[in-house]
Amino acid sequence: MSSIKSVIISCAGIGSRLGLATTKALINIEGRSLISWQLEMFKDIEDVRIVVGFQANDVISEVLKFRKDVTFVYNHNYFETKTGASFYLGSRHANEYVLEYDGDLIVHPQDMKVLLDIEGEYIAYADKMSDDAVYVKVNSIGDVIAFSRENGDFEWTGPACIKRDKVKYNSGNVYNQLENYLPMRGIKIRACDIDTYEDYQRAINIVKEWYIEE
Amino acid sequence: MIKFIFDLDGTITAEETLPIISKNFNLVDEMENLTRETVQGNIPFIESFIRRVYILGKLPVDEISELLRKAELYSEILNFIKTYKENCVIATSNLECWCIKLLEDIGCAYYCSDATVEENQVKKLTRILKKESVVERYKSAGDIVVYIGDGNNDMEAMRLADISIATGLTHYPAKSLLSVADYLVFSEEALCRQLSQLL
Repeated sequence: MSSIKSVIISCAGIGSRLGLATTKALINIEGRSLISWQLEMFKDIEDVRIVVGFQANDVISEVLKFRKDVTFVYNHNYFETKTGASFYLGSRHANEYVLEYDGDLIVHPQDMKVLLDIEGEYIAYADKMSDDAVYVKVNSIGDVIAFSRENGDFEWTGPACIKRDKVKYNSGNVYNQLENYLPMRGIKIRACDIDTYEDYQRAINIVKEWYIEE
Repeated sequence: MIKFIFDLDGTITAEETLPIISKNFNLVDEMENLTRETVQGNIPFIESFIRRVYILGKLPVDEISELLRKAELYSEILNFIKTYKENCVIATSNLECWCIKLLEDIGCAYYCSDATVEENQVKKLTRILKKESVVERYKSAGDIVVYIGDGNNDMEAMRLADISIATGLTHYPAKSLLSVADYLVFSEEALCRQLSQLL
């Protein structure tokens, strides 16, 4: 399964809005790091590429506790760049299709399974949840026709899957890269991302519900 | 053409080669500390290399060459090199007279340090390979250069290469590499996968 797909997890950021002084991959959720929950979802994916920047050494040693065969990709300019640059760097020499997964994202494991089996390109979105979100506007069949900072039908969470050759360097965010290729197939999932401390509190309950109790 | 330039010790061989020599000839104590400190970048590479060659140079060259030929290699990496021989190059600071048999067995192009040999002993170091010069050579010929290595003496080569991969196969890569590397891998599998993706 998915041998032609690379998964790019972006973990280079500072996580400044969260206020825990630690990169988000390392935050503790139910006794485990966020990255360890994510790695479990991708355990059957051969090419997992983790983009590191802030606290790279700590992220690397945490990941190595769980698997050794990942490729770490450096975003040395993490302070000046955003997720768009990390996604580009992670995709640069990857497989034909790249699945973009933001390091602060929690996706329902069943939905992630479905997404990993889907062929071709898509953008995943979820019900609105975060306070400070980017939204997607969708058409009647659920395909994404626009991103917006102001309003939309759903919250843009990712992941997104796209042909590697379409990922160009971008100093902005991943959605700025995807905007060039709209409309794209849209898929609704159960997901939440962690930007603020409130998001973090909510994420703890969500992990309990989605990963532990189900 | 894409060229993969590999460091030898700890990247293709599963152990550092100079310690193999010192172990075999019971010079472990003299060498161990020096090697470790060098790999980590605490002793300048050239100084350390000269000191190590001084210690080991009195040993029989032909025996060392046979000994290193038996060094354990990373099999997947070896397969990759043999399959894409034209694309692969080894850059090692090690002496050609010591590792020539090993390098010939691997079978791709290589660059080493040189010494004169008299009466089956190293007489005089004549050239210490600067790995960055190998990168420069291929880049100026128009090749795209990918550099793969783990030691502090790989840093300048890595900085110059178009794409650089730090490896932590035998030991954790030198800290200095982590500020210049594009990629970092800890398994043969991940390394060979990345190399294939670059072809």
